[in-house]
Amino acid sequence: MPLALLAVLLPTLFWDRSASSADALRKAGIDRLLVPAGQEQAWRKLGFTAARFDRAGAATAVAPNVEYRMDVASATRVPWLDANGWRYDREPARAFFCDAPAGSAALAAAEAFAYGVEAAIRAAPDDLPPFAGMLRFLAGIDQPRLPVMANIGVVDNGSDTMGEVLNLLSRHNLLFHVVPAVGQKYDLNLREVPADANPYEFAMQIRRQLTDAKRLVRIYGSNVVLARLTGDPAQARLHLLNYGKAVIKGLRVRVLGSYPQGQLAAYAHPRAALEDYSVKDGATEFTISEMGAYAVADLRR
Amino acid sequence: MHRRTFLQIAAAAPAALAANDRKIPKYRVVSSFQPASPPGMPGLYPGKVVSVHGAHSIDEATEKPDPAAVREMMARGMRALTGDADVRDAWARFVAPSDVVGIKVNCSGAPGIMSSPVVVAEVVRNLMAVGIQPGGIWIYERFEDQMQSVHYDRYVPDGVHIWTAETRRGSAESYDPATYVETEFFDEDDTRSNLIRLVGNRFTKIINVPNMKDHGAAGVTGCLKNIAYGSFSNVARSHSGSVTNTYSFIGTLAAVEPLRSRTVLQVMDGLRGVWHGGPFSPSRKFRFYPKRMLFGTDPVAVDRLLLDIIDQKRKAEDAVSVWDRSAKYLGDQGDHENNPNVNQFVREPGHIEYAARLGLGVYERDKIKVASVEI
Repeated sequence: MPLALLAVLLPTLFWDRSASSADALRKAGIDRLLVPAGQEQAWRKLGFTAARFDRAGAATAVAPNVEYRMDVASATRVPWLDANGWRYDREPARAFFCDAPAGSAALAAAEAFAYGVEAAIRAAPDDLPPFAGMLRFLAGIDQPRLPVMANIGVVDNGSDTMGEVLNLLSRHNLLFHVVPAVGQKYDLNLREVPADANPYEFAMQIRRQLTDAKRLVRIYGSNVVLARLTGDPAQARLHLLNYGKAVIKGLRVRVLGSYPQGQLAAYAHPRAALEDYSVKDGATEFTISEMGAYAVADLRR
Repeated sequence: MHRRTFLQIAAAAPAALAANDRKIPKYRVVSSFQPASPPGMPGLYPGKVVSVHGAHSIDEATEKPDPAAVREMMARGMRALTGDADVRDAWARFVAPSDVVGIKVNCSGAPGIMSSPVVVAEVVRNLMAVGIQPGGIWIYERFEDQMQSVHYDRYVPDGVHIWTAETRRGSAESYDPATYVETEFFDEDDTRSNLIRLVGNRFTKIINVPNMKDHGAAGVTGCLKNIAYGSFSNVARSHSGSVTNTYSFIGTLAAVEPLRSRTVLQVMDGLRGVWHGGPFSPSRKFRFYPKRMLFGTDPVAVDRLLLDIIDQKRKAEDAVSVWDRSAKYLGDQGDHENNPNVNQFVREPGHIEYAARLGLGVYERDKIKVASVEI
């Protein structure tokens, strides 16, 4: 795939602040911008690669976030996550806009990259350094996209209830892929959700039906990490998005399938590695020594 | 409907079920360790407990233990347990100079209640008397914030390790990815509880030093709960709503090798105790002073005595029995912490009998031989 085309898949900074902020952008190492209509030329004159972005025409992505709501009863004590993966999988061809408050832009970039969507991210000025750092990291690991790996094929009827089910499947790392029609390649196919269904119960029912043993990815040691898996017969790429604010140490991952070789790239944690690597019983397990917002494990058969 | 509303509806289900209808979850135990012969639990003295009462072992006003009294209690207790005249011989039945010994303390109620540093220091002193170097002794607990408040370092010689598994809550790096119990309680995604690495990779023996405490979920927390929930990750998931799976989970964890084989001695620190609100102790009003230490190798037998101690104290305070499973006493955590007649969970003191069924010790009271020592 031409490099230029790959670059298009990297998320881009949406910048609607005045030209006086140019130095801050340069200092962060950002030279590529999406800007409101009419501002392209001004930024180009300042030496930036700038293109117009139609915010109104874009789909909205939420700012990725975690909420620990101890005062609200929960079935599993699992914190709330605001994540976009399910949205991106639902409309992969759309351009998305994410207004990311301070502290969330780097993760928003990683999220869009993991799902391979075009995304314009409006970062807070304080977030420029980590956002730019994430873009450099993503550029360093970019490669031709592999097909999505999933257990569950979903024929999306576009309903809110279906959307909530997809959100919950994603939240529980029950990997799905939105497809135009029911296919044979998935362990389960989901065509519709009853209008009166409780999405949580419905998602858990899907989990039971699938069984944990068949799940393509399991995460142990954190309940704020979401996974995205792509691959072909020779390899798999596992994207791990950490919605928590803290560095995770000792994250254990199980990927269904035998992959004797694995390599890790973890944003802002260059020394992080895959430890306690094992391949047995048809699954590959490893521990990620430490990770921040995002890590990618490349696995080979 | 907003998605969070959906989740709250789902959350109501476990509470509504309450736990009269107790189910045993399906457990998958993964361990490559082989059992010792005999395993440390129930160990050399199944069904035997030495109960040592020291009238002057702790000052109730200051809550300060008397080191001399503790030393005598431990010496008498260990001699009575083993039948040895020399206390060093008694300890040498359990440890050798080449051993690396983990001392499992309990700091969850600190600073109100914890394995007393005076008691732990006396254990350390006895281990060193057998010939174990300070570097071969590890005082361990799961959570750093709890452990740090106790300051064991001020009581034990330099070189003794004071170690916690989780410097940040939830951190999994210090747990063994290959030794775990897998089960799902309440739809949680992380279905594994992993054993602390040091238990398998470093320690050759473990001495368990729990307290005498009531426990809102397990009924009481003594030897079994301290060694089980204190040596594995991700155990709080066993509670949700008013339901707790401590009934079967505690014993299941305690029976995992090598934890079961390497835990060779139980030293229950009952100088002070908690009769309500455990395992924490934010309020002194629920602390009491049994001035007692229990010695044994059989965690079930020791905990069986603990059940009576806590329940009798609760009875004396007009508090509902740890055995009462009635829904009418259920309330929220805040009420539970202040009112001894409010339960946060349907308590599961039956976890001790369940552990007996797993071979961890003797539960029937009339089969437990208690040697009482008065100082």
